[in-house]
Amino acid sequence: MAERQKIDARGAFCPGPLMELIAALKLASIGDEVDVWSSDKGSAADIPAWCAKVGHGVVETTEHDGYWSVVVRKAK
Amino acid sequence: MSSKPLYVMLCSGEHEKIQLAAMVASVAAVSDRPVEVFVTMNAILAFQRGKSPAERYYGGHFHEMFKTQNVPDAVELFGQGKMLGEMKMWVCSMVLDIKHWEWDKDLTEDLFDGPLGLTKFLADAENGELITI
Repeated sequence: MAERQKIDARGAFCPGPLMELIAALKLASIGDEVDVWSSDKGSAADIPAWCAKVGHGVVETTEHDGYWSVVVRKAK
Repeated sequence: MSSKPLYVMLCSGEHEKIQLAAMVASVAAVSDRPVEVFVTMNAILAFQRGKSPAERYYGGHFHEMFKTQNVPDAVELFGQGKMLGEMKMWVCSMVLDIKHWEWDKDLTEDLFDGPLGLTKFLADAENGELITI
């Protein structure tokens, strides 16, 4: 059964949140989701761009008060 | 983003330029793009074995801000690029000779793939895109 884990990368600067996401995806199973929280303003665009490049799915991107939540589904 | 291999020649010892090289190389490597980094001249000093992050970097407008804020350490970023992507790191054989250093004894452990001459690096770089920092 697919699982969702949260990574709180708030306070980390580029490309820290992306690297934390990638490390988590390496350990996840296909279909699992990772919800990365980032206060780095570039992440909201960078993480979806990375997913499009390497072939993972973006489930949703949500702006909260002072940070972004990007949910990524491992596709391969 | 192109999938052509990316070749990064890192010459500067300035903190912000080493940081930029580490960001470019690691992000490209984790984006399914093969990367090779050639470290030469002043840049080699940042990779001397045994140096703490506080001793490793100097120079550039953002140097102090990098140190006091939660910016990823450049040497660790290179390591993450190697661990999570396809990336090789070479050290210039000329500067090793001048410093009387050995790549596997005097440089950061488990980061470099070996020494390399400029001619070989430039020949390999003809297969991709080369940036110099």
